[in-house]
This record gives sequence, C-alpha cells and structure tokens, in this order.
Amino acid sequence: MSQQNENQSQADTQTKKLGIGTDEWVAQHDKRLARRVGALGVLDFLNEKVSNRTRYVALLLAAIAFGFFVDNQYLLRIASNLGVFLMMTIGINIVLGFAGLLDLGFVAFYGFGAYAYALTSSSQLNQHWPTYLSVPAIVITTAFLGYLVSLPSRRLFGDYLAIVTLFFGQIFIQLVLSSDSITFPGHTDSTDITGGSNGIPGLDPFKFFGQPFKSTTDYYWLLLIVLTLLLIAVTRIDRTRVGRAWRTVREDPLASQSMGIKVNNLKTLAFIVGAAIAGFAGAIFAGIQSAVFINGFDVPLLTLVYAAVILGGSGSIPGSIIGAFVMSVLPEILRVQNYSEMLFITVLVLTIGVIGKTWKRFALNIVSVVVIGYIVKLALNASQLATTPSKIWAIAPVSKALRYWLVLPSNRIVWGNIAFVALVALVAYYSIAREKIKPLLLPLIAYISIFLWEDRLVADANTTRQLIIGAMLVVLMIVRPQGFLGKARVEVL
Amino acid sequence: MGYFGQQLVNGLTLGGVYALIALGYSLVYGVLQILNFAHGDVYMVGAFLGYFVEIGLGGPLHSKVPVPVMIFIMFAVSMIGTGLLGIIIERFAYRPLRKSSRIAPLISALGVSILLQNAALLLFSANIRTYDTSSFIPSTLGFSLGSITIDSVRLTVLVLALILMFALSRWVNKTQLGRAMRAIAVDRDAAVMMGIDIDRVIRWTFFVGAALAGAAGVMNGLLLRGVSNGMGFVPGLKGFTAAVIGGIGSIPGAMFGGLLLGVVESLTQGYLSTNFSDFYTFILLIAVMLLRPNGLFGKKAIVKA
Amino acid sequence: MEFGALKSLAELDLTVNKEEIVSVIGPNGAGKTTLFNIVTGIYTPTSGEITLDGQSIAGKDPAVVNQLGIARTFQNVRLFLNMSVIENVMAATYARTRSNIFASAFGTPASKREEQEVRQRAEELLNFFGSRLTGYRWDQPAYSLSYANRRRLEIARALATEPKVLLLDEPAAGMNPKETQEISEVIGRMRAEKKLTILVIEHDMHVVEGVSDRVVALDHGVKIAEGDFDSVATHPDVIEAYLGKGSADRK
Repeated sequence: MSQQNENQSQADTQTKKLGIGTDEWVAQHDKRLARRVGALGVLDFLNEKVSNRTRYVALLLAAIAFGFFVDNQYLLRIASNLGVFLMMTIGINIVLGFAGLLDLGFVAFYGFGAYAYALTSSSQLNQHWPTYLSVPAIVITTAFLGYLVSLPSRRLFGDYLAIVTLFFGQIFIQLVLSSDSITFPGHTDSTDITGGSNGIPGLDPFKFFGQPFKSTTDYYWLLLIVLTLLLIAVTRIDRTRVGRAWRTVREDPLASQSMGIKVNNLKTLAFIVGAAIAGFAGAIFAGIQSAVFINGFDVPLLTLVYAAVILGGSGSIPGSIIGAFVMSVLPEILRVQNYSEMLFITVLVLTIGVIGKTWKRFALNIVSVVVIGYIVKLALNASQLATTPSKIWAIAPVSKALRYWLVLPSNRIVWGNIAFVALVALVAYYSIAREKIKPLLLPLIAYISIFLWEDRLVADANTTRQLIIGAMLVVLMIVRPQGFLGKARVEVL
Repeated sequence: MGYFGQQLVNGLTLGGVYALIALGYSLVYGVLQILNFAHGDVYMVGAFLGYFVEIGLGGPLHSKVPVPVMIFIMFAVSMIGTGLLGIIIERFAYRPLRKSSRIAPLISALGVSILLQNAALLLFSANIRTYDTSSFIPSTLGFSLGSITIDSVRLTVLVLALILMFALSRWVNKTQLGRAMRAIAVDRDAAVMMGIDIDRVIRWTFFVGAALAGAAGVMNGLLLRGVSNGMGFVPGLKGFTAAVIGGIGSIPGAMFGGLLLGVVESLTQGYLSTNFSDFYTFILLIAVMLLRPNGLFGKKAIVKA
Repeated sequence: MEFGALKSLAELDLTVNKEEIVSVIGPNGAGKTTLFNIVTGIYTPTSGEITLDGQSIAGKDPAVVNQLGIARTFQNVRLFLNMSVIENVMAATYARTRSNIFASAFGTPASKREEQEVRQRAEELLNFFGSRLTGYRWDQPAYSLSYANRRRLEIARALATEPKVLLLDEPAAGMNPKETQEISEVIGRMRAEKKLTILVIEHDMHVVEGVSDRVVALDHGVKIAEGDFDSVATHPDVIEAYLGKGSADRK
C-alpha cells in the first residue's frame, strides 16, 4: 500500500515539475514556438539574456568614452544635438507613450524654453542672468505653461486634444513672429521682444561657478549628466505608482476614474512634466547654438520628434533612445553625398534581404536588379536618348561603383519625376499584390529606387529626409505600429 | 457700415472655402472617426491641378477656350483628380489600419501629409505659382450693393461654394449612398449587418470629401493666393478647426463652422490687428470647446459603462 | 434618471444595509447598469438623491465616489488590457497611496517601502482567488487571460481600492456552472472576510439564490418587487417581466 502511495507521489512530483498540461506550461508554449531559428534566433536569445541595466551601463560608458576621446567639434555638435533631441523624445514619450495624450504642440514648449533663455541671456532685453538662476526659472515657467495648456485639454481626448495643442503650437509661433514690434500703451515707439523672423543671436553661454562654457564639449558633458539622471528618474517613475496610473489613463480613462484615479490631474501632470523637460532641452539648445530662430521650432521638428518616438516604440524608454538616434543622426548622414549613398544602398540591400527571407531569394533578387539595370542601359543606348555623363553624378565611391551599370538621362528632373510617380504606384500596388506577384515587383522597385536616388534624391537632402519620414510613418503604422521596442498593444475600440 | 459689410462679404467668401475643407474633415470623421491630417494637402494638390489645367489650356492670357469654360474645366479636373487621390490615400494609408488603435491612423495621416507636401516639392519644385486671375477676369467686373463691392471672382467663388454645399447636403440626406454613409457613422457594425458595403461607401465618402477640398483649392487660387507645396497646412488646420467648432461629424456644423471662421477671421483682420487674427480664432476654438465640448451642432455622446 | 425623453429609472427607492448582499435582477434594459452608473457617479441623476453612510454622493466624480468607499466591476469587463495582471491591481491602489512623482524618481526609502507594500497587497488580493490568478500569471498581460479570469481580476482590482461597498455587474456572465459556483463562494467570502456590503446585478438565478440576503427586481426602470429570493422569484410581476404578459396567469 505505502509503496503504491510512494510511486504515486513521485509521479505527481514529476508531473508538477514537467508541468505538461498545466496552465503554466500552456502559457509558455506559445513562447517556445515563437523562438526563431538560425541567426535571428541567436540574436533573440542574446537579447533576452542581456538585461536592460547592462545595456544602459554600456551605453553610458560608450558616451563617456566619446566625450573624452573625440575632439572634432562637428561630431560633438551632432552628439549634443542628439542629446537635446533625446530629451524631447523622452518628454513626448511621457505625454504620449505613458499617458496616451497626443500633444501636437509639444515643440512650442521647447521653443519657449529656448526663447526664454535667449531673453534672459542676451542683449535683446539686456538681461544677463546667471545660469543657475535662468535655467531653473525657465524649467519652472515652461512647466507652468504646460499646466495652462492642459486646462482646456482636460475634457478632450485623442483627436480633439491633438488639434487644440497643434493650434497652440501655431499660436506660439505667430506670437513670436509678431512680437518684434510691440507698442506698449503709453509708449510711442515699438519694442522688439523676440526679434521676429530674425531671431535672437549672440546669446551668453552657460556659466557654472563663474566659468563659462567654452566649447560644445562642455554642453556635451552637461547633457550626459542631465540625460543620465533623467533616464534613471523616468525609468523609476514608469515602474511605480504614477507611471502605472498614467498607463491606466492611456488604457481606459473611465475605468481608471472608477478606480479612484483622478484622470484629469494625471493628464495635467503629464503635460507639466513633458513641458518642463522640453523647456530644459530648449534652454540647453539655445546655449549650444548661441542663437534662436523661430523656424527651427515648427512642424518639421515636431514631425521629427514624433517620428522618433513612434519608431522607437511609444511607451518604451530604450525605444526613445533608438528613435532619437535614428532621427537626429539621419539628417546629418543624408547631407553628405558619400554617406547618403552608402546608407541608402545598405538599407536597400538589408530590406531585400529581410523580405526575401532565404539566401537563395536574396541572391535572386540582387541578380534581378542588376539585370534590370543592364536592360535599361541597353534600352537607353538603343533609343539614343541623351544621357547625363557619369562624371557629373558619380562623384562618391558608391556612385562611382555604379556608373557602369546605371545610366541617367540628361533630362534628370523629368525622368526623376516619372520615376518617383512610378515608384509610388509600384509600392502601393505591392502592398496589395498577390503573393505570387510580389517577388516579381521587388527587383523592379529596387531598381527604380536606386535610379531615383542617384537622379534626384541624393542631391536634395531635406526633401529626401522628409519623404523618408513620411513613408516610414505610414509603413510603420501598417506593418509594426509598436515600433522597434514597443510592446504590441491590444486595443478595445 | 460699408466697411463692415465689405469685411462680412469677404469673410463669407473665405468662409465658403473653409467650409468646403471642413466638410471633408467632418465626412471622413463621421465614417471612420479619424482626423485626416492629409486633407489640407489634398487641397493643395487641387490648387496645383487647377493651375496646370489653366496653363495647359493656354494660360491666363491665351486661353484656348472661353473663360467660363476654362474655369469649369479647372474645377472639374481638380475635383476629380483630388477625389481619386482621396480614394488612393484611403485605400493604402487608412484601410489597413481600420482595426488598429485610434492613434495609428492619425500617425499614418501625418505621414501622408508629409509625403504629399514633399512629393509636391519634388515634382513641382518650390516655385510659387499663381493663377494670375486678374489677367483673365478683370477685377473691375462685379457689382455693388451700396458701398460694398463684390468682384466677379469673389462672387463666383461664393456662389459655387454655396452650390456645392447644397449639393452635398442633398447627397447626404436624399441619396442611398448618403444614407449609407450616415448609417456607418452611427454604428458601423450594424451597417455591415444591414448589408451595406462599407468599403464602397467609405471610398465614396473620401472621394467626395477630397473633391470638395480640391474645389476649395481652385477657389483659393482664383482668389489670387499663391500656389505652393506648403499652402495646405494652415487652411487645413483652419478647416479642421471649423469642423470641430461646428461639431465634428456634423455636416451642417462644418458648413456653419467654416462660414463662422471665415467671418471671424475677416472681421478681426479688418478691425483688429492682422497679425493676431489667428489668435482670436484660437480663442474662439477654446471657448467653444469649453462651453460646448461637442461643438455647436455636435451631439452629446452618451457614455455607456 | 432621464436621458432626454427616456426615463431610465423612476422612483427607485432602494436601501442597502451594512454587510448585506443585495441582488438586482430584471430583464435587459431594466435600468440595472444605469443604477450602478448613477451610484458611482458616471451619470448624474436628474432627480432624487443617493447617500452613503448619510453622506450625499449624487453627481460626484467617480474617482471621489470610489474614495468614499464604493468600487465596481463592469458589465463588459474593462481591464487595463496592456498592463500586466498584477499591475492592474497595483494601479488601483493609487488613491490609497502617496508616493508622488519626485519621491519615486529619487527612489526615497519611503517610496520604495510603499511600492513593496503595494506589491504585497496586490499579491494578497490575487491569492484570494486561489490558483486561478497566481504566480507566473502575475506578470502576464491582462489580455492573455481567459474570460473567467478576467472577471476575477476585475474583482481583485476593485478590491484594491479598499471599498466598503462593492458593486458587481453580472460577475457570473459567460461562466460555466463550476465557475459560477466559485463566484458565488467568492462573493460570500468577500462579505465575510472583508466585511463588504455587496450589490450584485445578475441574470443567473443560481447565483442570486446562493448569495442574496435580499433581491430587488426592476423592469423598465421601476422596482416591481423586493424581498427574499423565494418571494421575488414567485412574484407575478417578476414572472410577467421575464416571460411576458399572461405567464403569471398560466401558473
């Protein structure tokens, strides 16, 4: 009898250990299935093993090393701009990612911080405040501004909030533009407060303990310290009481309210925190630039910041870092023809590789693209259409490598336009084409992209950047709305 | 009184244009509950299309057809062209997102807006075009009511806007398609179950909304404003504001909101400072949002818990 | 309570005593959920008053009503789907805790301690449901839960707000007989162990019979019967409301 019992209990323990069939096993089953094979699988595995903290520390060390060993002011400027941009991305992440509020006037807080610094540290109003006074004052004032903006927004959600905040951002720009000639009652001549469209140049540098910042390197270190503290603080907040409450506001405001959470107060808090961060960033930015111009604070910057947050994954702080990096370094890369081409070719090849999935398909695609190129070349030669000599457009290593394969007609603009329209049409068609047709379209799309890039886009960095951002936003929403590091969300409509 | 009247007339004309844009927003919001940020840029494309037609027909000075015919063709081509553009946008940027979160279509719309603006920049270059209306419609042509003058261009625009608005309300209220559209706006799932072809109706809604924006674009061009790739942003914003003030999703609301906005803008520009007229529009928006959160004609949504 | 021309609830006179379990029954559209919505402050009653412990709460903000001691679940389960199971419960302790944003950011000992307490409390509440919502389940997103578990989680979440009164809106909807039995037990335990006053909307008469001290029947916004289960179940007006005119006579 007891022997039987013992066997039974042994079997029970085993079942419990193996757990097959129990709830827990079933729950993890999906995870086991999803583990990918091959190289990506190893990457996934490593991804899971390395903790976030390790990653952050590694990043911090890399940033410190960068600061010590890099002297090139241009690179430091890019890095500092990245730092400022990252601050803004984090701010937006709090407002949009945590609390779920679509604040499209966010850049106005940034601009306000910058202009506030300009007004307190220049000869515009002849105010030269010490930094330890001006910066905190700016942060507090911008926070208060965030509070004011949040007031009419209390009853609004989603779309309504978006438009009101967008309008607010526009009003801010209008105000600044018009405030270069304000006539105060009682005076006969006008005062120039904001310099209008000319902006305010000649700002004092930051000054700590009597020592003014001498170069961008000083701002870099300041940003490093500020960002480290900010990231620590925001990560902690995300994991605790207020962060959770914010997320309930994003999830279901009615249920949240019914659980005792004062939704309106939390919305206001998100606005205030976001605004404060943006104002701080603006002040630092003004210090770095030593000047402020209003057109740097308009919708293009707004779309850049939003693209960064969405790309990285709204709600994910590590995602913000990635998104900010891509969005602020990308324009710089696009400016230099050489890098721009290399980036383009790399991304194109990677995309073909990812879509193709297998090595065989990948090779087939590449070969097809090359073949198409030669066909086009032959066709152009045969038709005796005038072409642009390659020494005009093949000026960087990549294009030089392409010049025996790619031919550009001499009427570049017209053909570029045709290529652009064709590309858009093909990509659109691709998105709804049957699976059998897709592989046929891909090399064609790839060829036209290369053609278009060399023909028009590589020369026009700004437009190209905007086109990429616009396309990326649409594609991202359709293909992977949670961005790189965001978590896939379940929405109740 | 004369000055006021003049400003009023100008405001109504401007308001007519805003109303057409606002209608596009309200129509789309009604069926899909999304804000079509790209709508202002569709308006821009309409303006360009009208311009190219004008040039194609011989330009402002050497038109191959009589002026009224040219204007008609400009409107027709523009409206059909933008209508098609609207359908394309819906098909590729919004339809895949019908089951996603509320924010996804908004972001996608933002992307489309950026794409349109920069595509126009790429294709048409940054040069500002103008319709040069005074070259083919003398500005002296018109009529006066006392001290108020309405030149023929303004009159055409105003009348046309009213005609379009009237046509739209007949379409919405009297036709099968319009009824189907309203049904979808109230309860999409029920509409599906009633056998309504959602895709088709939504497609038509976008077509109509975009076509109206295209017409507004041509009107804007005729009123002697410049045509450039970024011209859609501010009118788009104002059109949206008008739609919200009138109650988003409400057709009469959009019309009223547009006209109201045009009048307010014209009056504040005429009597107060030109620089800050947008400011007053904003105040108006905030006031309406606070006092009647669902807009002037909007319906109060009952929250079911 | 009127919505425009629709009288949703009329002349409803209802008293619930401490630690009582009262069930509200009635056909769909009778106004039961509307009743909950008025009590919790989602709607403001167009006439009449609502008092809790002598204090008037009519028209107060739902968050305020919750803090005064009334918590609820929803008819169609409104969880914070993208948050984990335990976060759903932890989040609901917000109003009973104090660490503000600065304390959390600086990681003060007080905030850390409070965070631990919140976690512990959430674990206790989830353990109340036994093996259903335990251990590994805590960190799973709420959307991965089965329907029955979602209902249980919603109750746990409501309990986290430390209420005196609990309003359960169709807690057994969509559950099989075994789960229904469990829910009835849970309701009983909640009253006994946590000294709660409970108001239950239910269609499943097994639950109603099993838990109620008193039953109130509504139809078309009007109370048509009140009393213990047997008297209400056999009340002719109630039978008529559920089964149609003439059914009572056929009995």
